[in-house]
Amino acid sequence: MQIYNDYKDHADFLTVYVREAHPTDEWQMKSNVKDDVCYAQPKTLEQRMAIANDFTKRFKYPLPFGVDDMANAADLAYSAWPERLYIIDENGHIAYRGGMGPFNYKPAEARAWLAGRYGEVKHPEKTESAPKKS
Amino acid sequence: MKRFLKWALGAVLVLAVVAAGALSYMAGSPKDALYMVRYAFPHMHRGALKVGDDAPDAQLLALDGQTRFHIRERTAGRPLVLVFGSFT
Repeated sequence: MQIYNDYKDHADFLTVYVREAHPTDEWQMKSNVKDDVCYAQPKTLEQRMAIANDFTKRFKYPLPFGVDDMANAADLAYSAWPERLYIIDENGHIAYRGGMGPFNYKPAEARAWLAGRYGEVKHPEKTESAPKKS
Repeated sequence: MKRFLKWALGAVLVLAVVAAGALSYMAGSPKDALYMVRYAFPHMHRGALKVGDDAPDAQLLALDGQTRFHIRERTAGRPLVLVFGSFT
């Protein structure tokens, strides 16, 4: 996650795992079958933990991680499902409130907030020279 | 009166077809639209939080399955970027 690598020296990050969006027993997506991401909606916290661990291991996910409880307390408090971004400032106030995912899940907006405070981190565009014709 | 009812019924039908078409387009297919209505809409909430509000707290479980901590424990000193999501 590029935004984490770019701003982890200035801000803390926390990923919160909430109830599955497209489990096999609800609205499964073809793309998840193709990518072999097939899980039923967890009925227990142990099942939720197992999926969260699969996710972090599969992607070597570097961000600090927490799992929501089966009462979905974090999800309900932040209206977070299926995916959403927030930034909380150092005084404990909401500084950025992202839109509801997936259509309004916009990491670029969170990046812009961080860039406004800590400066933009630029990445030189990768340019590949075209093979020469002989 | 009968004529009005016919028009009203027709209008409702047209609106229903347009809504079903729009949902199918958004979701990808009519079947996905049905699943969206059944499984996604009940859990999607715009929420009432606003910029400037106190950030709510909730207890989370760490990946070790043992350690419990609160979101607000992580908000002292530096901004906290919260990333909510799941695997699927």
